Amino acid sequence: MAASAQYKCADYHRMNGNISNDKRFSINGQSKSAMVQVGKETELNIVVYRGQDYRISVSHDDKVLGEQMAIRLVEKVRVPTDEVVEGTTKEPVLDEDGKSTGTTLEVKTSEKKRNYKEEEKVLWDNTEHEMANEIEFTCTATKRIAVEVVAAGSNDPKAKKGGPNDIGCVGILIEHMPTPTVGFEAQ
Amino acid sequence: MKVKVLTFSLLAGMVTACGGGQEPVAEEKGPNLVIGGEEESVASLYQMPTPNELFSLVREMAGDGQKRLLNPVSNADRYASLKSRALNFGIYSTDLVFASYFKLNVEVVRYYLTTKKIAESLGVVSAFSDADFVRLEANLTRGDSLEIISNDAYAKAYSRLQDEQMGPTLAMVLAGGWVESMHLLLSQIEAHGKGEVLMVRVGEQKVTLEHLIDMMAAHESDADVAAVMKDMISIRDIYDQVDVKRVAHQGASTSGRMVLGDDVRVELTDEKYQTLKAAIDQLRARMTAPEDKTNA
Repeated sequence: MAASAQYKCADYHRMNGNISNDKRFSINGQSKSAMVQVGKETELNIVVYRGQDYRISVSHDDKVLGEQMAIRLVEKVRVPTDEVVEGTTKEPVLDEDGKSTGTTLEVKTSEKKRNYKEEEKVLWDNTEHEMANEIEFTCTATKRIAVEVVAAGSNDPKAKKGGPNDIGCVGILIEHMPTPTVGFEAQ
Repeated sequence: MKVKVLTFSLLAGMVTACGGGQEPVAEEKGPNLVIGGEEESVASLYQMPTPNELFSLVREMAGDGQKRLLNPVSNADRYASLKSRALNFGIYSTDLVFASYFKLNVEVVRYYLTTKKIAESLGVVSAFSDADFVRLEANLTRGDSLEIISNDAYAKAYSRLQDEQMGPTLAMVLAGGWVESMHLLLSQIEAHGKGEVLMVRVGEQKVTLEHLIDMMAAHESDADVAAVMKDMISIRDIYDQVDVKRVAHQGASTSGRMVLGDDVRVELTDEKYQTLKAAIDQLRARMTAPEDKTNA
């Protein structure tokens, strides 16, 4: 059953996606469909390249997942954090001739250590854009992006979170083209 | 930690859970559109850009493609372990896409057949059908069609690995593909000079590597994946020594669309470039070494 449910959604973005009328856009191989549970956040992690324009559109089974879907584009950034690690070491005590006295002295040490943590930066949130289910943008730097979606559920009691029918298909269609130049070229 | 999946397996599992036992009580709350909540409850899916995305960006500035850069097809029968076959499936399929982008037509046929052979050994043979091969042969003089057919084969193999829930194999395929993409990009730079735009692309591959490592982490309990991941992290360590500057984008996009996020500049010095190239060369040599030779 799991396998058939999985395949049920496999081409949802192709079958139900809202493909751009702009013929310069090509379908990006990172497009994907998935089964999403009402109220549960699901994210599709992709990479967008500098010098490309993208169009991301989200289609979903509104009978199960409800009419509206919250969508965010979040950039994932790996950032360095420096920390000072303090510790102690035991060093031998030397006499005037530089020979070991057989005793040790506890010495405080501090070492700079670089760690990395992942930060998330919200770049676009459709709750601030009239619940739009598509966005077009230019990418001026290669980035890791998560397309986050969460469904509210429909009015059907069976489709409430935790109900017997609270899982539906979501398709995330990604299209891209090299960033075009519009207007007159400078002479 | 987030729940990471390369396929729909987790979500499909939820469907299975609906099949029997006690039903969870439905919450009587209103619409829940809160996003960005507890990390633990997020289901994460990962997709990698296909090699053609990179090659299409560098094709015009990288001169002619050179077939000597590709992993020789004669090696294909000499990869015995699953790890080696998976890595080299990623390598050969990237070579196939490269050959089609740089119009190395004879190589396209040879690499198609070679990739097909390794695909068979991995159980993803349906991505390379006889009908597609006939189509490929019929289009040998049409470069654009070759690109499409090669990309289709790559995409089908990728989907097949996802659908069959072969996550660890897919992780290694993608790692092999990433290393080969870097090898080809760096070799083109060596042959045609360090143009600024190409160097920026090399720097930006840091982002795809971070993405790949994040994706692989879901399968690090697999010993083969863990070993490959360790190699990839050692490359990331080199990138970590490179300065990255983020600045707010100034002005509008030339297309009139909104610009998403900051401009990012990865400042790859000549010294770091050489370190990176040496590490990629070494790793690629290990990945492509025939196992009969390695084990002798």
